[in-house]
Amino acid sequence: MRRSCRLSSADRTLMAEISIELFQKLSQQIYQKLGLHFDEKKIYFLKKRVEKRMSLLGIDDARDYVFMVSYADPQGLEMQALANLVTTNETYMFREYEQLQAFANHCLPEVLSAKQARGDRTLRIWCAGCSSGEEAYTLAMIVQEVFPQAYSWKCEIVATDIDENMLEHVAAARYGARAVGEVPAEYREKYLTSDGDGWLVRKRITDIVHTYHLNLNDRMEMRKMRGFDFVFCRNVLIYFDDLSRKAVVDHFYNALNPGSYIFLGHSESIGRVTTAFKLKRFENHLTYMKE
Amino acid sequence: MSSLTEFVEKLDCADEAERTYAAEDIGYLNIPEGVDVLLDRLRREPSRAVRDAIFQALTRIEAAVAIEGLVGLLGSDNPEIRNQAVDVLRHKGARSIPFLSALMRDGDKDLRKLVLDVLTGVDAGTGTTGASEIYTAALCDEDPNVVITAVENLGKLRVAGFRTRIEELLLADSHPMLTGACLEALAAMGDELSATAIGKRFPDLSAVPDFLLASCLKALGAVGEAGAFAEVARLLPARGRHLRPAILGALIAIHQRDPVIPSGEGFLTALEAIIEDGDPPLSRYQAVRALGYLSSRDDVYAFLVSCLSSPERLVRLGATESLRLTQRPGTEEVLFLRSLKETDEEVLQALIC
Repeated sequence: MRRSCRLSSADRTLMAEISIELFQKLSQQIYQKLGLHFDEKKIYFLKKRVEKRMSLLGIDDARDYVFMVSYADPQGLEMQALANLVTTNETYMFREYEQLQAFANHCLPEVLSAKQARGDRTLRIWCAGCSSGEEAYTLAMIVQEVFPQAYSWKCEIVATDIDENMLEHVAAARYGARAVGEVPAEYREKYLTSDGDGWLVRKRITDIVHTYHLNLNDRMEMRKMRGFDFVFCRNVLIYFDDLSRKAVVDHFYNALNPGSYIFLGHSESIGRVTTAFKLKRFENHLTYMKE
Repeated sequence: MSSLTEFVEKLDCADEAERTYAAEDIGYLNIPEGVDVLLDRLRREPSRAVRDAIFQALTRIEAAVAIEGLVGLLGSDNPEIRNQAVDVLRHKGARSIPFLSALMRDGDKDLRKLVLDVLTGVDAGTGTTGASEIYTAALCDEDPNVVITAVENLGKLRVAGFRTRIEELLLADSHPMLTGACLEALAAMGDELSATAIGKRFPDLSAVPDFLLASCLKALGAVGEAGAFAEVARLLPARGRHLRPAILGALIAIHQRDPVIPSGEGFLTALEAIIEDGDPPLSRYQAVRALGYLSSRDDVYAFLVSCLSSPERLVRLGATESLRLTQRPGTEEVLFLRSLKETDEEVLQALIC
């Protein structure tokens, strides 16, 4: 081989770059701590956000940054700052559609038929951290669709949030085009009505959604939440520290009836928080059940 | 305020939720008297959910007696209890160390290993009194598992103070797993002297067995000098495809630290072969990035531009990043024109950033 020669300083900009190995290490840390999965398709997305954090912190070696979030971030503050950059607060109806399919096609029919068999005609779903209500109304539409007899049962979807402004938004039940963009056409026809530049949720859907102000960290208030058949708490717990997350999930466990299900975001794993739930597979979907 | 006695009674309730609440409330009381009650219930408690709540309560109780109790649980026959105890002790941080030191002295090999498992999650690392002593003892332990765990921890924590000892272990021609752990640790916290030690232990990279080569390359990538680039590059055509990411990773790391323009057609040919067959897929991206080191050559630059139209998104992404670093006149326009046709969101971001 010929003698090597030095490169220009421009090439030294690579110094700040995150390597494949560090990307894999960091995505493993993010998965362990936040439950968010970043595969190689997201390499550029994650790299750019990490570079942004490194620049803000004055760190010029990606190894130092990965070390910091792995071992020198006792309060999880940096991981939280990174989470704020890599997660989206955007919410819309029928988000994480495949998970909703598992609910609609498997879990809901199973729970309903067990209840029917024992003469119990109630169905209670808790939408925890409901934000502006898109998920609660999505679930209400699915219940109506999958279970037309719902009108003769006592069906209730309890939508809770710490932010009272959000609860007012839920009560108003009016959404922009972006929020309803993923609603299947036949559902939109049946359950929504056009209202100027937005959409209103029809009364037969809003009637079964009840709002309630609740801080998931308030253990006394959390204990009042009992007798649910489903808990949905998707993409909320990633903002909690380990101890609070465990405490909240324990409360969800107690809030659920035996034989009922909990749904977190598709990238969040209950298994990392508690061993109390039983893992069940429906086709390609993993769900967690209270035995 | 409710008393401990009231919660203790509720711990024996038939209702699982009530027992969970009682454990939680005892945790919030945060008094030393709660510890024995919780530990006693833990031994008899049939519900996993309540056992989880008991461990959370022990996390909340700050008294030293809670740490003592948790250290005692490391000897449990039940792996679930042991693992939970390790987790909670990690939460307790440096305050656990005095109790762990005693266990390191007197415990059997399994307990000594668990002590190190706790220590890996203790934020204070080795900066805290006692932690250094535990690691010093662990690195001389008679049980290889304990030594390996200590080396792994020190690597993860990047504790350079133990570098010399780890280099000694590497040179001692010890258990292959220990050799691998030493290489990984040196990759995280080694220096130029570590590169010398690696060179002594493995004077001929081509003779390093597959199962150690990835770790060896990682260490060389982290601490090796520019002179190692050529030797590592020679491995590309010679070793199995599964080692390509490790070889390319080492080359990229050495180049980032000490940029050199590699010479020789062999290197170029090897990279082109990887881009062509794309096995494993991620190595395609790495190869295109490594090809960027040769972008001062017109033929390589033209090839990188052609990669922007590759059907493989990782090739397009790698080519975009490589071209952006060339600073050749006209490159920005090339990237802009490509962005008008690009459909992949990630690649598009790279093109227009």
